[in-house]
Amino acid sequence: MNRVVFTILFLLAQAAGAQQFITIASTTSTEQSGLFRTILPAFTRATGVEARVVALGTGQALDVGRRGDADVVFVHDAAAERRFVAEGYGVERIEVMFNDFVVVGPASDPAGARGSDVAKALAAIAGARAPFVSRADNSGTHAAELRFWKAAGIGRPWGEWYRETGSGMGPTLNTASAMNGYALTDRSTWLSFRNRGELVVLVEGDQRLFNQYGVILVNPDRHPHVKKEAGQKFIDWIVSPEGQAAVAAYEIGGQQLFFPNARR
Amino acid sequence: MVEASIFPLEVRGVHVTLGTHHALKDVNLRVDALARTVVLGANGAGKSVLLRVLHGLIAPDAGTITWAGSTRRPAQQAMVFQRAVLLRRPALANIDYALAVNRVGRAERRQRAREAIERVGLGHVAQRQARVLSGGERQRLALARAWALRPRVLFLDEPTASLDPAASAEIERLVHEIHAAGTAIVMTTHHLGFARRQAETVVFLHEGRVTECTPADRFFGAPASAEAHAYLQEELP
Repeated sequence: MNRVVFTILFLLAQAAGAQQFITIASTTSTEQSGLFRTILPAFTRATGVEARVVALGTGQALDVGRRGDADVVFVHDAAAERRFVAEGYGVERIEVMFNDFVVVGPASDPAGARGSDVAKALAAIAGARAPFVSRADNSGTHAAELRFWKAAGIGRPWGEWYRETGSGMGPTLNTASAMNGYALTDRSTWLSFRNRGELVVLVEGDQRLFNQYGVILVNPDRHPHVKKEAGQKFIDWIVSPEGQAAVAAYEIGGQQLFFPNARR
Repeated sequence: MVEASIFPLEVRGVHVTLGTHHALKDVNLRVDALARTVVLGANGAGKSVLLRVLHGLIAPDAGTITWAGSTRRPAQQAMVFQRAVLLRRPALANIDYALAVNRVGRAERRQRAREAIERVGLGHVAQRQARVLSGGERQRLALARAWALRPRVLFLDEPTASLDPAASAEIERLVHEIHAAGTAIVMTTHHLGFARRQAETVVFLHEGRVTECTPADRFFGAPASAEAHAYLQEELP
């Protein structure tokens, strides 16, 4: 084939390919729970758009959006999300689904944390100086954990008993399992986590443990290269009856992991 | 303050001649933020040369390389070579030195170097001379040194070459973790299992030309070019 023709065809193919995918900066919980692996093929079938996900803590995911390195952010820290939109980095925050946080710990519960009051549980763990493993990664889960410590009247915990991993939910749960310590996790990651050792759910049911996920299109006015139409297609799909049904249908061991509640 | 994006990295019409050898011929490709791009091809296809060009170690004879539309090469990139280039000093000091060269202040250097060496599981050999470490440890140290720089894109040239399966698996896990922390990866490898697990996009080079630049599942499922097909046939068991 003539080289010039080949080059033109190659560049055209690349340009076409570049329009066929979007980048979603999301959280480790949505990725590690397996949700995206299940629902994204349905999105691609419905729209012809491929979605590539990078799983980060919410804070990092929003920073990726601020740089314009993603087209959509899909995260779970409502306050940080509203700030992201208010600063002009995002177009609109749309709620998509929820799950809840739980505190896991050794079945023997040496700190006496078991119950339905997360603040009391954390106060008991700190009082006993029992090992607690924190993500400490500026994620949505980490932000929630810091709120719960504050509610427990502890401010910023520190000491040898408080281990900061600086990594995602999976590695943090692995560390908690290895140390037989306590940790805060979203329930979806917990349900898909296999290396539990002696860990069980000890604290659940507190209204403060509610965990809302939101989706935001990165603002194309600020970052003109954002794939506005393809990104909006993802948002429209995930809040549509089809997308919401796909979220609701995702189960592990017969348990639903995320609960759709889309509203603008 | 939010850093500006350095993406996309765009390569247009790049030619490289090394002596009399045309190492790269009319190469065009694009790397987006958070990409996982694997460059495949037979020995001598130009993979390592391409990575060096992207990293700015070799200047092309013709063509352009732009980062977010600018020809100015951004600092937020790092490269790990097939044979880790380590200094004659302790492991931790190797990381500290790289940070110092990048003008990171002393206090922050110490913290970032310690974090990086712990993250790759080499905290216990932090004060050991880098050059006496095993091959796998040296490659992990090279990754830690690159990681400490917090690059937006990391170029990896055959990161698991000459490593045993356990050391290769550890490198693969770390590469996955580095990407998961928000770094785009552009990597060459002959390890097709690693490539399948890592790649989102495959760039296939044959005799210095890009013959395919395609989503990985499409490449491994049905490569479009005869050269890629032959390459995969030869490599698969």
